[in-house]
Amino acid sequence: MAIKELDRTVQPNIKPVSKINIPKPEIIELSNGFKVISAKAGSQDLIKIEVIFRAGTRYQTKSLVAKASISNLREGTKKRSSKQIAEELDFYGSFIEPSINRDFASVSFYTTGKHFFKSFDVFSDLLLNPTFPEHELDIFRQKGKQNLLVEMEKVSTLSRMGFYKALFGDNHPYGTFALPHDYEMIERDDLVNFSNKFYKGKGGAIVITGNFDSEQLDFIKGSFASSRFDGQTDEEYILPRIKSNEKKIFTYKNEAVQASIRIGRIFPERTHPDMPALQILNTILGGYFGSRLMRNIREDKGYTYGINSFIVPHSYLSVFVVSTEVGNNFVEHTISEIKKEIQRLKSEPVSNDELNLVKGYMIGQVLRTFDGPFAIADSLAGLFEYNNLDFDYISNTINTINSVTPEQLMELAGKYFDTDSMVFSVSGSQIPDGFTQNTF
Amino acid sequence: MIDFKRFRLENGLILLVHTDYSTPIAAVNLLYKVGAKHENPEKTGFAHLFEHLMFGGSVNIPVFDEPLERVGGENNAFTTNDLTNYYITVPVENIETALWLESDRMLSLAFSQKSLDVQKSVVIEEFNQRYLNQPYGDVWLNLRPLAYKVHPYRWPTIGMSVEHIQKATLDDVKEFFYGHYAPNNAILCIAGPIDDVKALELTKRWFGSIEPRNIDRKAIPKEPEQNEHRRLTLERDVPFNAIYKAYHMCNRMHPDFPITDLLSDLLSNGRSSRLYQRLVKEKQLFSSVNAYITGDVDEGLFVLTGQLYENTSFKMAEEALNQELEELKVKLVKTDELDKVKNKFEANFIFEQESVMVNALNLCYYEMLSDANLLNLELDRYNAVTAEDIKRVANQVFDVKNCSTVYYKSNLINEN
Repeated sequence: MAIKELDRTVQPNIKPVSKINIPKPEIIELSNGFKVISAKAGSQDLIKIEVIFRAGTRYQTKSLVAKASISNLREGTKKRSSKQIAEELDFYGSFIEPSINRDFASVSFYTTGKHFFKSFDVFSDLLLNPTFPEHELDIFRQKGKQNLLVEMEKVSTLSRMGFYKALFGDNHPYGTFALPHDYEMIERDDLVNFSNKFYKGKGGAIVITGNFDSEQLDFIKGSFASSRFDGQTDEEYILPRIKSNEKKIFTYKNEAVQASIRIGRIFPERTHPDMPALQILNTILGGYFGSRLMRNIREDKGYTYGINSFIVPHSYLSVFVVSTEVGNNFVEHTISEIKKEIQRLKSEPVSNDELNLVKGYMIGQVLRTFDGPFAIADSLAGLFEYNNLDFDYISNTINTINSVTPEQLMELAGKYFDTDSMVFSVSGSQIPDGFTQNTF
Repeated sequence: MIDFKRFRLENGLILLVHTDYSTPIAAVNLLYKVGAKHENPEKTGFAHLFEHLMFGGSVNIPVFDEPLERVGGENNAFTTNDLTNYYITVPVENIETALWLESDRMLSLAFSQKSLDVQKSVVIEEFNQRYLNQPYGDVWLNLRPLAYKVHPYRWPTIGMSVEHIQKATLDDVKEFFYGHYAPNNAILCIAGPIDDVKALELTKRWFGSIEPRNIDRKAIPKEPEQNEHRRLTLERDVPFNAIYKAYHMCNRMHPDFPITDLLSDLLSNGRSSRLYQRLVKEKQLFSSVNAYITGDVDEGLFVLTGQLYENTSFKMAEEALNQELEELKVKLVKTDELDKVKNKFEANFIFEQESVMVNALNLCYYEMLSDANLLNLELDRYNAVTAEDIKRVANQVFDVKNCSTVYYKSNLINEN
């Protein structure tokens, strides 16, 4: 039998990807209202626990209080000093990661199964019995202020802050951000009150993944059914309405050799029926390496090291953003090219070839979101936070990816990709035409 | 324990296969034994520029990313002073697309003036974005040539200056490619839900016919011993002062390497570490402080960095750091504290092994050092470190004559 000559110009047969194995987690509700979401996954001796509170920045009435509360949990308990907490966790090779967004605050805990019980004792102690020592808060204030001052030397930070300011105005809970002097204003009582009020079972969740056994799982559930998380409060916060209108703001940064650009608008919440298809449009525009924006601004023109677009989910809406840093001389041309690419989505149907490419890429991405315990934990937390654990969301997304037509996408682009209702924020050393000067 | 099988193709390509059925994703990692240290000092930045060009299309495939994205794959690459590493993750059903793409760009690139011009300009924007337009971003552009006088670690992977990138011609680029990118200068690892028979068959199919090349192996000069404290002050428009201290240390294969690594962990791995507890929390001299090793293959650097508070003078900062180093030189570390950093190392090691991609990368890296199986011996090497070892190496490394110090001085705050 003759050996077939290798034809390197032809891609090897494209094989369909076998069914995506979405782990079905066990979900129960504790007596205090905490949802416990657990999924066994992974091959190593690891456990990850994430405790999620409905206690993001939009619940705070004073800047930084939500962040300071979640960050300072590990700075002292009734039984342990900040140093002891650090010593013990480090000794067991475990670590914790506080995080905060507009809607939720969470603490993630990573441990090996080998040291599970001893290190979990520290984790539950800091969640249940924090004392927020004044001295530790003082260090938080100093460090936080200094770090923010350094961050604000970056054009990317300034344009992001300008973008949110223009998009939401100064008073909307989704638009505010801390300024350096805010660090001086936070007090210990703010943290105590905020955590007492918002670190509650009702509306919160615990996501457990990795190689846990039933004994460990029961132990975790037992610990969180405790009295501190008594599930009394779940205040509904009605968010003010926002009207998106074209705004162009510029923030000056001395001697910047590049300018940072952010363009975007408000999109619907993640559960909205248009969202899966909007994700596809976003991917085509700037959501992957081969996207139209990357090809145009980086690979064709060489104006930037990178450009991308993304959709940031919040509980009641999401935000669509195009983001890049370009040489000073390329700012105006880059903005007009971005507008042109956005316009193209509305005026010409995407080719079947490009659409198939994006479908293949996105299916791979969905597969990756369930690859390994950490990825699974993130997906489950995301599903809880933004889709109320609607597991159909994933299959709906896959169905939309597989079935959407170029015409449907173009129609949807007409509905959402209107550059006249977008906000433009630039930070750099030269003000572009038509922009208003902004300061922080 | 990471199981693997090793094969060597006739053209010199080494293949490592790690089978893991717990994931639907396969990783394809290709390490080329070429990094910034193999560059001509007159033409630096080439290995990294190449990383960009390698995505600009190869001899038979006009666009690299597109066919891979079509099958759900994702890829990227990084360049260090020692090596260049290209990696792909792809649903295992379509692993052949990944091998087809990697083998074609090993065969030859589609060298074009347009691709070169665009990537030169992208790299220059990368240089601006990462090194010039960030507070403290240019410190390594200055610290490297202070610490290294002879060894090519004296320039960063992005290159000594943008001029080298601007001047790169198509001929330069071709010469660099054929001198370094070859099956006999590469290590491939396939990891994921695939057995070694299948992996070998596919590798032979796509890589087997690529001819070996003459590898451009110039001797790399050894950095002479440093025998005076070197100092440099940089004045910049940054909001706070910062300090950087770099000490020469042993190479990656030296028996002291794990000791030196744990030494840096004692100082700054985790919130209970000495520098964080004493200098950030107790003395409140720094807003952040860090100690780490560069981990280079040849003799690397042990680095201490700290960002100062407005009321902290450089003198206070430096004395506080020196005091910590001095203590390691005279006092034996307690067993508990040493056990702690060993435990932390072990946990991190396990965390990493959750990813087939990291396993593939690590296997290639250790194979480049000498043998992929070293990865499986690493924990033992770290666990064998004693308190006496720590003290001995601290005395060796933390010698003031072996140190290069940079004061990164803020123009925006008052003299102190």
